[in-house]
This record gives sequence, structure tokens and C-alpha cells, in this order.
Amino acid sequence: MLLLLDILTTAAILFVVSVGLLAIFGVLKIINFAHGAWLTIGAYCAVVAVKLGLNPWAGLPIAFVAGALLGGVAELLIIRPLYRRPLDAILATWGLGIVIGQLIALAFGRDVQLIPNLMSGTVRVLSVDYSVYRLFMLFAALAIGVLFALTIEGTRLGLSARAVIMNETLARSLGIDTDRVRLATFMIGAGLAALAGVLLTPLTSVDPNMGVAWLIGAFMLVMVADTSYLALAAACLVFGGAQVLVSTFVSPVLGGISVAVLAALLLRINPRGFSRA
Amino acid sequence: MSEVRAAEVLSLCDISSGYGAVSVVKSVTLSIRPGEIVALLGKNGMGKSTLLKTILRLIPLRGGVIHVGGVDQAHLTPARMIAWGLSYVPQEQALFQDLTIRDNLRLAVRSDGELGAALDHAFGYFPFLRDRLKQKAGTLSGGEQKMLILARALMLRPRLLLIDEISEGLQPSVVDRIVGVLRDERSRDRTAMLVVEQNLDFALRIADRWAVLKMGEIDDEGSCGQNAHARVLEHLSL
Amino acid sequence: MPEDTALLNGRPASTTALEWRAPAAAALVAALIVWISPLVLGAFAANVLTRSMLYATLAVTVDLLWGFTGILTFGQAAFFGVGAYATAMTMTSLGSTPAWMAAALALAIVLPMVLGLVVGWLSFYHGSTPLYASVISLVFPIVVTQLVYSGGLLTGSSSGLVGYDTLPLDLEGFFRLSGLVMVAVTLAAWVFVRSDAGKLLVAVRDNDVRCAYLGVSPRRVQIMLTVALAGVAGVAGFLFAHASGVVAPENTGFLFGTQVVIWVALGGRGSLLGPVFATLAIDYLSASLSGDLPFLWQLVLGAAFVIIIIFLPDGVAGLARRASASIFRSSKQTRVPRIALAAPHSAVERSATLLKVSGLARSFGSLSVLENINLEIRPGELVSIVGPNGAGKTTLIRCLSDGSEPFKGVVEIGGKPMKGLTPDRVVALGVGRKFQVASIFESLTVAECLRLARTTSETPSGIGSAPRLSLPVASIEILRLTGLIDLIASPAGLLSHGMKQALELGMVLALEPRLILLDEPTAGLTKAERATIGTVLRHLTAEAGYAIILVEHDLDFVREISSRVVVLHQGRLVLDGAVDDVVNSETVRTIYSGGGHV
Repeated sequence: MLLLLDILTTAAILFVVSVGLLAIFGVLKIINFAHGAWLTIGAYCAVVAVKLGLNPWAGLPIAFVAGALLGGVAELLIIRPLYRRPLDAILATWGLGIVIGQLIALAFGRDVQLIPNLMSGTVRVLSVDYSVYRLFMLFAALAIGVLFALTIEGTRLGLSARAVIMNETLARSLGIDTDRVRLATFMIGAGLAALAGVLLTPLTSVDPNMGVAWLIGAFMLVMVADTSYLALAAACLVFGGAQVLVSTFVSPVLGGISVAVLAALLLRINPRGFSRA
Repeated sequence: MSEVRAAEVLSLCDISSGYGAVSVVKSVTLSIRPGEIVALLGKNGMGKSTLLKTILRLIPLRGGVIHVGGVDQAHLTPARMIAWGLSYVPQEQALFQDLTIRDNLRLAVRSDGELGAALDHAFGYFPFLRDRLKQKAGTLSGGEQKMLILARALMLRPRLLLIDEISEGLQPSVVDRIVGVLRDERSRDRTAMLVVEQNLDFALRIADRWAVLKMGEIDDEGSCGQNAHARVLEHLSL
Repeated sequence: MPEDTALLNGRPASTTALEWRAPAAAALVAALIVWISPLVLGAFAANVLTRSMLYATLAVTVDLLWGFTGILTFGQAAFFGVGAYATAMTMTSLGSTPAWMAAALALAIVLPMVLGLVVGWLSFYHGSTPLYASVISLVFPIVVTQLVYSGGLLTGSSSGLVGYDTLPLDLEGFFRLSGLVMVAVTLAAWVFVRSDAGKLLVAVRDNDVRCAYLGVSPRRVQIMLTVALAGVAGVAGFLFAHASGVVAPENTGFLFGTQVVIWVALGGRGSLLGPVFATLAIDYLSASLSGDLPFLWQLVLGAAFVIIIIFLPDGVAGLARRASASIFRSSKQTRVPRIALAAPHSAVERSATLLKVSGLARSFGSLSVLENINLEIRPGELVSIVGPNGAGKTTLIRCLSDGSEPFKGVVEIGGKPMKGLTPDRVVALGVGRKFQVASIFESLTVAECLRLARTTSETPSGIGSAPRLSLPVASIEILRLTGLIDLIASPAGLLSHGMKQALELGMVLALEPRLILLDEPTAGLTKAERATIGTVLRHLTAEAGYAIILVEHDLDFVREISSRVVVLHQGRLVLDGAVDDVVNSETVRTIYSGGGHV
């Protein structure tokens, strides 16, 4: 039972962290290596909220907006010029991540920031005492997933985004402003990443480099999922499950790399997303 | 050709374009007035599709000037031209196969508010679409897909229609239907059309004028009359 | 043509001597500087620079992989770390006698090379993408780091290994050793990239498909390079373990790997010297500034990195190159080889069937592109395949040249079935393919492209550039008739469209393939250029006994040169016969005027 809850909540956390990256990879067809930095930005928005005396939950909307706005600036200045150079886009976004990390360190210092948990304590679930917050993450992942699905399936922007994902030239020849779609998507993806950063604060220590550890796992999951958020959810379950199982029964250290290794092997056998990138 | 008669919907002045180092369209001069249907004929690889894509700005113009609706195309984006009333029927990959018919049509209108009226117009021509809105476009037959593409192009009552080889691979009955639709559209709305074709019979049935594109230039042109067929056939034959 | 006619192009034949002198002299000077430096530098500077020079060696390997071969890799750091750890672990757990030291060195070379083979096999396979290779190069260092962390006492876990016995050298000694290794590796790399074999790297980067179709497996080049450079990284790691006396997980990690890429990018990818100087400068400055402005420095570096990637992809070296080119008028003495006639391959049997296609079918999902194609071609035939767009012509050519295409039916070349063979192995059966869009190596000169085309006949030298380029008579004729012979020192990317087509044809003919597949060779050519190509093709089949399959839209061209015409319509072969019969047939007329519905 404990194992099952661990697997489900790990999958939920992975999903929340990766969904922003998926949106960007799907529409813009690049891997945003600054994703880790945006997680950090989000976490520090929570820090700022607390410093301003606000409820820590206020960090969520602040982070989303801040992340989206900064994402917009990044897309215009850095991503757009590298439209035809995807490998260089990876490098440039990595550089951007370094810059953001150092700016945060300069502004807030290198030390770990302590902020009150969004939620704490345990609750009894079917004969097991489990962390309330981790259970909340299940709900958060579902909520974010549903909102994401509604946006992409129901709204006009979502339809345009799907069109651009499938065939950008055709979309343009129908009069769709593909530049605007890409900008909007990047902003939403960045906003989601910052949001995820806030949600990570009770689970990990908040310091200027906290996001990097999540980057590789997130991007391997996105590569496996390609453009489908349902596939991402499935990947999070399968690989998250593997991570938990390996951590529990083999070693926590090897558990940490199981997502990356399994994903790399799977992609060797079945390239999927690589044929589009 | 420096003055552009404001009445022309499309004016191409000595234009050239291509891919990379290759110059596909070398020097084309052509103009179309409202309500006129011009057939652009020629063998494969002569530059017909490239010409249409250049007009729509999907491929950059290398030389010459294009006026769409009297405005220099250099100041327009594909979105603006489409808002003005330009519609394009591509030859390949013209539909989102995994999206429903409704979504495919929806992507062509600017806002969902306009969708209702646009759909009615489309159903007017091809009623079979009304019952199949939720079907994925990829499940339609080849002929039905072409009709869907044409419906999408006509939905917004365009002023200028660019059609790239719509009759390719179609049954004669479907081709007949399309001829009817295009004639109808022209007589009702004075829609101008540039029809790229390899199918001589179809092209000459609907066009007022014809031009043959060879090696990126217009080799010959004329009005559709009795000996048009024979003349064009000479250019296309082996 | 008389044997051994040297077609002169106005340049002296052997300039290889000159090529040796300049870099050797520079290397000597560098070695001297390395030798003297410890006498003038303080202890701190010497210590830091010892490490920086080893990092610079690593940067050279990354530049070879990324700048020259187009493989963006973060993994060299892992090979470095493996070498360092292998050394430290041997010293710690096994002993530090000279015998063990030698064993450690051997291990520091062999172990990374074995891992390089695994990484290479994973990353490079038929159909792999550069992005996937980069992904693997990211995951690999992470795996290595985690393995180190979980190694307990053996690897020292997070504390690393320290206190083991090192080589009996003092600070000056380690400085000189590291410096000399750096100079040696850089010199070797410099010589290699300028040699004929070194051009293969650029060829794989520019156009790996064309490499395969010249009979050179790009995967093998990539894997061999990875393995070799893993060994070099391992040596640097070995020296690092000894010079610094401590190895830690950070020396294997992906953060270190990204740092090396940043140094190469800032210095200038593809320039070798740029990455060396950038590494030395940045690493030294990073260490010196540590006391005062550590974070601001990282910020500046990160920002500089982003700016360079977007605006100056060639880095500082590129800037320097452009500046010096405008100051000193470009005096690029590109060595130009003398063109000579090659002895032809064994003569082709006129009667034997060269190509036999039985029941070939190819479908994409439910869409059938080719159905039941049966075809036999003999030497001396010039067969044109015609048909409207979408008839399946290019798909047919692909199925005849790339055995990894999932087609049904049998295709035999010279009696040997080619199904399942990758393009480079099909080329070995005697097939040459020319693409519709000229497929050449844009960064290389015409002469270099042609020499690469001869790779399977004459192994290129890894040290210098051969003064003579032997080409078969057909290639030489193409060069002469099109005027390309006067442009053999010109970069291929600057040629006109028609010249590029001619170059590609010259390259394909240099393979001396018995069966030549041409996809729309006259697309975009002028009338005169088409006439020239037509003459050469006719000559090849009539006199040299080659067989040519030609996909064409220009039916006049087809009528002039073909011995046989095959008509493809909606994936089926509808006609196959003599030129006059087919061209005047009713079927063809109908198909082309749009009336044909099958």
C-alpha cells in the first residue's frame, strides 16, 4: 500500500514538473534547458510571497504570472533567433538557466531558503500514515492535467497549437499566426514550470540550483511522451514506478537514475519524438 | 509593368523565386481581374506549385513585385492576405488528418463567431459534410478530402482562389461536381481564380484564359477557345 | 586517354612539405613555452594551469566531436572522470609500484574506450538523430556520477579519493607533462583534421547520407572517433589524478561536461586553438577570481555563452578569423591535388543481368505506393523511368538503393539480394545514387569531395594530403566538359546549382558503380548543361558498359538518350519498352493529359 502511494505520488510530482516542458517541446520542437531555472524561479516566488507577509499559497498565481512573463521575454530574445538551430537552442537555454541561477543567487544568496510548508502532517489512508502534501500532489497533478487538456482540446489557442504541432506550414497557409502561437505556448509552458516550482517547495530544499536535478528526468519523460499529455501521464506512472521500485529494493542512488536510463533505452528501440525534432 | 490597375486582384510582375541555389520560377508576368479564371498549365517541375507558394509568401520572393488586391505583397503576411480574401488549396498535405472535419474547417476561420455562417456556406456546396463533422479528416476518401479542402477554401467567400492540382486522382463524377461549384462561385461572388493543373480537360472547362509554364517562364498563353486544347496539348505532349 | 596523364591545374603538386613546417614549428614554440613557464609562474598559477591544460586537452576532444563532426556531446567529462577514477582506485586499492602505475595508465585508456564503444553503439545507428546522440551523452555522465556515489569505500562516494601515491614528479614536472600532452594532442588533432582522412569528419557532419552513399558508413566513423577520443580523455584523467592528488564525483559529472562545451563554444567550435585558449583563460580566471567575484563571473560567462550561441556561433576564433581575413587578404593556400587517371575496375560482363527486381511492393500504412514491380536491367542499358507526380518513382529508386527500406519482394544486384543492407553496403555491391537535390559536402572543396568519393578505392591518409587524386575517366570527363576542372579548389558550397549537380555526378562516377541511379539529374539545369550530361551518360552506357536508371520529367531529354523507357503510374509499371514505342503510345498520352484513371 505504501509502495502504491509512493508510486502514484511520485508519478504525480513528475507530471506536474514535466507538463510545461511538454507543451514547449510539442509546439516549438525544442527542449528548453532553462526549465530547471524556471522551477527555481517559481520556488523563489513563493519565498518572496512569504517575505511580503502573504499566504504561501499566494506564491502560485505570482509564480505563474512571473514565469509566463519572463518566458515571453526569453522566447522573443533567445528562442526565436534559434528557430532553425535546435541543438544550439538547447545550449542557449542552458546558458540562460545559468544566468538565471546566478541572478537568483546574487539577489537571495546561496543558502537554502526556509519557508513554511504549504501543507504538513500526515493522514491515515487505509491503514497507512501518509504525507498529506504528497496526497495533495495527486490532486494537483490531476487538476493541472485536466486544465491542460481542456485548454488544448477546447480552446482556440489549443486548436491552433495542435495545428502547429502537426503541420506548421499548413497552419500558416490557413492564416494562423504561428509566431503568436509559439510565443503563447512558451509563456504557458514557462508559467507551468514556475507553478511546479512552488509546488515543489515542501518536497525539496530551496536553493538557486534546485531545479537542475529535475531537468534531466523531466526532459527524458517528455522525449518519450512526444506531444501527447496522456502519454506523458503514462510515462510518469511507468518510469516513476520504476524509480520507486529501484529505490526501495535496490538502491536510492540507482533509483535516481532509473528514469533517465530506462527512457534512453526505450528511445533507442522506439525513437518517436526524435523524428520530429 | 509599373502601374497596377486597382481593379486587378492579382498582379505578378517579372517575379522569380526558388529553393536554395535553385531558381524554379524565373520570370513570370501575369495578372488576374475579378471574376476571371486563369488556368496555369505545364509539366511537372516547371514551377507551378512554387509560384502559388510564392504568392502566398510561404516561399520568399527573389525578384519582381507581387500585388494582391492592389497592395504590394512585401508589406503583407499570409494572415493578412487571407484576411483580405485570399484562399489557397494546396496540392499535398492539405488537411490535418488527425483532426475532425469540424476542426479542420474551424482553423480556417478567424474566430469561432464566424464559424456558423461559414459552415452553412460550405454545406451549401457539399451537403455531405454536415453529417460527418465529427469524423476525422483522414478517414474520408480521396475525393471527399479534396471536396473538404475546397469547401474550406470557399467557406470565407474569397476574392482570389489559388488552386493547386485539385483534380489529381479524382473520379470524373467528382471532377464534374467541382467544375460546377467553381463556376457557381465565380458567377455569384465574382471570385477570381488561378488554377494550376496538369489535367487539361478539367482546366479548359472552367478557365477563361490559359498560360503554359515552362522552365519557370510563361511559354505561351491565350484565351480558351476552340483551338486552345490543341495548342496546349502541343506544349504538354512528349 | 594515355595512362597517367596528369591534368594540370596550374598549381605546384607537392605542398605537403609546407603543411608540416608551420604547425610543427608552432608546436615546438608552444612546447618551449610550456617548458620555461614554471620558472616564471608562481606556485598558485602553475597549479591552476596544470589542471587547465588537462581540461584544454579535453576541450580539443570535444571540439573534434562537436565542431568538426557535428556531435554535440556532454559525455567527454565522463570518460575523463572514468580515467581519473580508474587511476585513483588502482593507486588506492591495488598499489603504487611502477608496474601498477603502468597498469593504471592502461586501465585509464582501455576502460573509457570500452565505455566509448557502448556509448557509440547506443548513440549511432542507421536512422539515429544528432539529438539522440546528445541525449545519450547527457545521460552517460549522470550514470557514471551516480555509480561513483554508490561505490562506497571503493570509489570514496561523495568525498572522492585522496591521499594515494602519485607519480614522483614535483609541481614543475606535472606542469610540463600536462603541457606537453596538451601540445601533442592539439598538434595531432591539427594534423589529422587537415589530412584527407580528417575530411571525413566534416563530411559526416555536412551530409551523412551522402557519406553512406559513397560507401562509407557514417556510424562507423562516429563510433571509432568516440572510442579513440574516449581513450584520449582517459589519459587526461590519468594525469589529472596524479597531478591534483584527488578525484571527486564532480570530475565525472554532467555539469563539468557542460562546462567543457561552454569553453569550446566561446573559443570557437571547429577551430581547435580557440577552445584551447578559451579553456586556459576561463579556467585560470575562474580560479583566480574565486576569492572576489565568484558568482558575478559565472553570470558573465553564462551571458557571454548565450550571446555567442545566438550571434557568433563561431566563437572568438571565428571573430579572429574574420578580422584577420580582412587585414591580410585571404591567402588561403588550399593544396590542390593533381588529377590523374585511375586504372579502371574489372570489366563488366555484358550479358549478365545487373539488376533484377521481382514483385517489389512498398506501402505506407494502408497507402500502397508501389505494387508488383518487375524489372530486369543489363549492362549498357540506359533506362528512363517516367510518370506523373506521385507515381512512386523516387520511392522506387530508394528501394533499389537502401536495403533498410521495408519493401516486399526481391531486389538483386549482380545476383546478390540487397534487402536489409544499409546504403553503404549496397554501394559496395556496385550501386551509385545521385539525388534530385545535389547532395555534396558544402564545407569542403571540389577536390576534397572527389577524394572522399574515392575512399573505398583508396584509403585516405590520416597524416597528410596526397598530392595526386586518381579519378576514373568518366569523372574526369564530367569535370572537363562542365568546366568544373577549373574550380577544383573552390568550396563546393559556392558552386552554382548546375555545377553542384555536375560535382555530385562526378563523385558518383568516381565510385565506378556498375549501376547508376539518377533522380532528375537535369532539374534546374540550362540547356547546355543538360546536353553535356546527356552526352556523358550515353557514353557511359554505350562504351563503358555501365547501366543507368534515370528518373526524369524532361521527356525530350528522355527521348534523346534512353535505350528503354519504363512508365510508372499510380505505383504500377504500365509500360516497358523501346523509346519510340512508349513515347508514342496512347497510354502515355492519356496519363499525361490527366485522363488516365486506373
